[in-house]
Amino acid sequence: MDWRQIFYHSMNVFNVVIVAYFFLANGTYTVLMLLSLAYTWVHTRCLVYQGLDEIRESVVTPPATIVIPAWNEQEIVVNSVRSILKTDYPGLEVFVVDDGSTDETLARLVDAFELIKMDLIFRPRMATHAVKGFYANPKIPHLLVISKENGGKPDALNVGLSMCRTPYFCTLDADCILERDALLRLMRPIIRSSVNTVASGGIVRILNGCEVRDGQVVKVGLPKTLLERFQVVEYLRSFLYGRTGWDAMGGTLIMSGAFAVFHRESVIDSGGFGQDTVTEDMDLIVQLHRWAVVKGRKIKMVFTSDPVCWTECPSSLVNLGRQRRRWQMGLCQTLWKNSEILFNQRYGMIGMVSYPFQLYVEALGAAVEFLGYFMVPLALLFGMVPPTLYILFVCLALLYGGFLSVGAVLLEDLTYRRYPGYWDLSTLLLYAFLENIGYRQVILYYRFQGVVRFLFGFRQWEKVIHVGTHD
Amino acid sequence: MPFLIEHISEVVLAMNILVFLAASFLIVAAFLRRRRREKYFSRIDALRARYTPIVSGMLEGKIEYGKGLDTLKGITGSDRFRVLELLLIEKKTETSPAPILRQLCADLGLVEVWQQQLIGMVDAKGRQVSRVTSNRIQEKSGRLGYLVRASSAHHLGAIFHQPSWPLLVKALGDAHPDVASVAARSLAAIGEPESFQPLLDCLHDVIQNASRQVSLRSIKMALVSFPLEQAAKLLPSLRHSHRRIRFLAVDIIRGMAERRAAENEDFVLDAQTFAPELSEIFLSRLISDENPDVRARAAPVIAYLPDQRATSALLILLGDGEWFVRMHSARALAKQKYLSCANLIAGRLTDAQWMVREAATRTLLSFGREGLSRLYDHALTTTDRYSKEQIGDEIQRAGLVPVLLGQYAQDRNGKETQVMELLAELGKTSCMLEALEGIPERNLRRKFLADFGRHPDPQIRSWVKGLASGKPFSRLRPRAAVPGIPAPQAGRA
Repeated sequence: MDWRQIFYHSMNVFNVVIVAYFFLANGTYTVLMLLSLAYTWVHTRCLVYQGLDEIRESVVTPPATIVIPAWNEQEIVVNSVRSILKTDYPGLEVFVVDDGSTDETLARLVDAFELIKMDLIFRPRMATHAVKGFYANPKIPHLLVISKENGGKPDALNVGLSMCRTPYFCTLDADCILERDALLRLMRPIIRSSVNTVASGGIVRILNGCEVRDGQVVKVGLPKTLLERFQVVEYLRSFLYGRTGWDAMGGTLIMSGAFAVFHRESVIDSGGFGQDTVTEDMDLIVQLHRWAVVKGRKIKMVFTSDPVCWTECPSSLVNLGRQRRRWQMGLCQTLWKNSEILFNQRYGMIGMVSYPFQLYVEALGAAVEFLGYFMVPLALLFGMVPPTLYILFVCLALLYGGFLSVGAVLLEDLTYRRYPGYWDLSTLLLYAFLENIGYRQVILYYRFQGVVRFLFGFRQWEKVIHVGTHD
Repeated sequence: MPFLIEHISEVVLAMNILVFLAASFLIVAAFLRRRRREKYFSRIDALRARYTPIVSGMLEGKIEYGKGLDTLKGITGSDRFRVLELLLIEKKTETSPAPILRQLCADLGLVEVWQQQLIGMVDAKGRQVSRVTSNRIQEKSGRLGYLVRASSAHHLGAIFHQPSWPLLVKALGDAHPDVASVAARSLAAIGEPESFQPLLDCLHDVIQNASRQVSLRSIKMALVSFPLEQAAKLLPSLRHSHRRIRFLAVDIIRGMAERRAAENEDFVLDAQTFAPELSEIFLSRLISDENPDVRARAAPVIAYLPDQRATSALLILLGDGEWFVRMHSARALAKQKYLSCANLIAGRLTDAQWMVREAATRTLLSFGREGLSRLYDHALTTTDRYSKEQIGDEIQRAGLVPVLLGQYAQDRNGKETQVMELLAELGKTSCMLEALEGIPERNLRRKFLADFGRHPDPQIRSWVKGLASGKPFSRLRPRAAVPGIPAPQAGRA
């Protein structure tokens, strides 16, 4: 067999792989979309009798702590904390963990909330970097700022977790704004569940373009730039039918650490937030699944789409690249670290469907899809694929991407309708199609970079700079 | 026939058309839905604008009931039922659901429909009624019928419809956990005393029957919201052989008592509200229950008992073998009437478990000046570093450092000076120094400099020197030197 034959064979194999990937990915996404359409529709009907007042007023409602890790967030941290302190939840505590910021994050918090440095006892429940000091104001007893040496987000979360006294804690990014009743809504499935619910995730929506007053989103709007608008569609797709669909199937493997509630003792018992990946949220979810299987515990993880947290999305390509490379690298690291779950029947839906999907479609798929953009045209060039078929296939890929995104926009409109105007709806639908031309490829490039960095053992956390769109 | 490349192209083309049509369908559906919703909401808004003043007027007695009812009966259309629900239930959240609102719901046929829906529309009348509702899709689909049942249970609870309690009790046994949970909540809202027992039975059933998927917390929440007078019905549960049932029964009574105590500072569990048998079982049996959770949750209840034996029972629990029983007891003693136990509570300041030490410290602090004085005495005499650390922690957290400085300013050689010295010794100076920096009074700063300037600890002397030269202490203080205390030694928490 000469090199030409090897080349032709390889190209054929790759073409089969890319076609298989295309159908596997889009087929799964379609199933997820249909599932979440039904699931979310039912969920919105359940909201009629949700009984938030009862949760708010009952002495039985378990108290909770919001832990906010912050590193160099001087522009936004004060407004975020102000907004979070207004969260409607009984027995709420708020911990801000300053992870050794080199800017004025700590100083601005101290000034804004008139905090006094205190030398409190720190009892670590897991290994963490040293704590430098505690800042509190006796007039705001439910706020505590912890200053520590820089050790990364998981380390900061572990410090917060060690100080946490409530049975549940909520992780929240420093750039986030919580809707006033978001925590009540997030705790609702935990309170209503008959099984120990160790994690409950909510939806993260994009803050850019919204009007914020007094720490609350008062008017929802679309951002001004192309890049941000594409992300709005992407977030809708990811949260409204990605997470919801997996939750409906009982295969939750990813929960955004930007806004999620966890059962404290389960997290501590499972080892706390791992520091060997750059996506500590996904890592923790997988770790909790493993912990439950090893310990023989019956646990539940839920995702609900009505508790809303607003976050600032990257408005520049540089920051977007940093974010997506990290997400992809973290995904690969977590999957690699927990490879024993793959096709392991003990893990049920997680081992047999969710994990393989994340591995073959989300992690390796990024590399396959990226290479496809070069290999398929090469096959066309060498006459291995007829031009008509090539064009038709490209059209199908674009159309299908658009179809899935339109599904997400429709789902949003059928259920929550956060973007009320016709103009907003038309814009979202337009961007649902447009994102497949250009934006998707850019994201794919960053994801591919993430895979490559993982393969080369890269470990660095790339910081996304938040410019502060609050108020 | 061989499968040629042309055939693949045709398949892909067909898929393109299919996906295009599907996407177009979704877009059209999105716009149509939006249009329909807009129409719906503008109709609702118009109806609200027209009828809300009438409903408000009726509730406030400004509009004659019969006249208002006739006007509301004029609302027609396929969504009449939904519109009425919106108009009336919304009013409930604004004002308390007056009997008029309940009567209005009944006279407009809403109550009947909700009741029919709750029992699953088994009779012909129910089906007939359901035709006027906007929930037809849900009703037609049997599997989603629970949404209608749960909503109906919710509405009956929202208007506190007392005659519906037997139906709600029936709904506790519903196959869907949502319906049972909502029914429990509505029963709690209605507060019919006779529904307490069925709720309790439901709790027992959920604990003992693993196949029941109802949330235990929901049932417990409902039971807790009943008045304390119902607690006597928990006697059999308190004597039950199942340890979890005993625990939940105690915890429900604790919740009831704490709810009442939140309303009235001087609350006690007197014989009128709390049956003597209950007091007896708490004082004689539950304090020695084999389940430590039961003992722990019994402590706060015992603390509300006016019985003489309550103090000794609490002190027994304060010396329990399980740390969390000791912690709950220490917390329960945080009432002025237990001031006489301060010495025994102070004994827990050297407990091996830090949460017990913390609870004891906070309880002493809650006693006011006297408790604080005990804490100072203990801190100055004990050799237990952990205990000193804990007291130092709580003094800072409670914002007592400025108070301490104030007392120190008045009393040159008193306890306060020694406590300040102790805090300095423990390295807990940040709070103190920040407070000193913020105090405009020169005499206090001068006094502080004079007292601490010759302190044997060189670090304290250097801080004082910093204060004297006007440099902010927070900059002088070596940051790395504040990581808290070293990790606890073996055997200590």
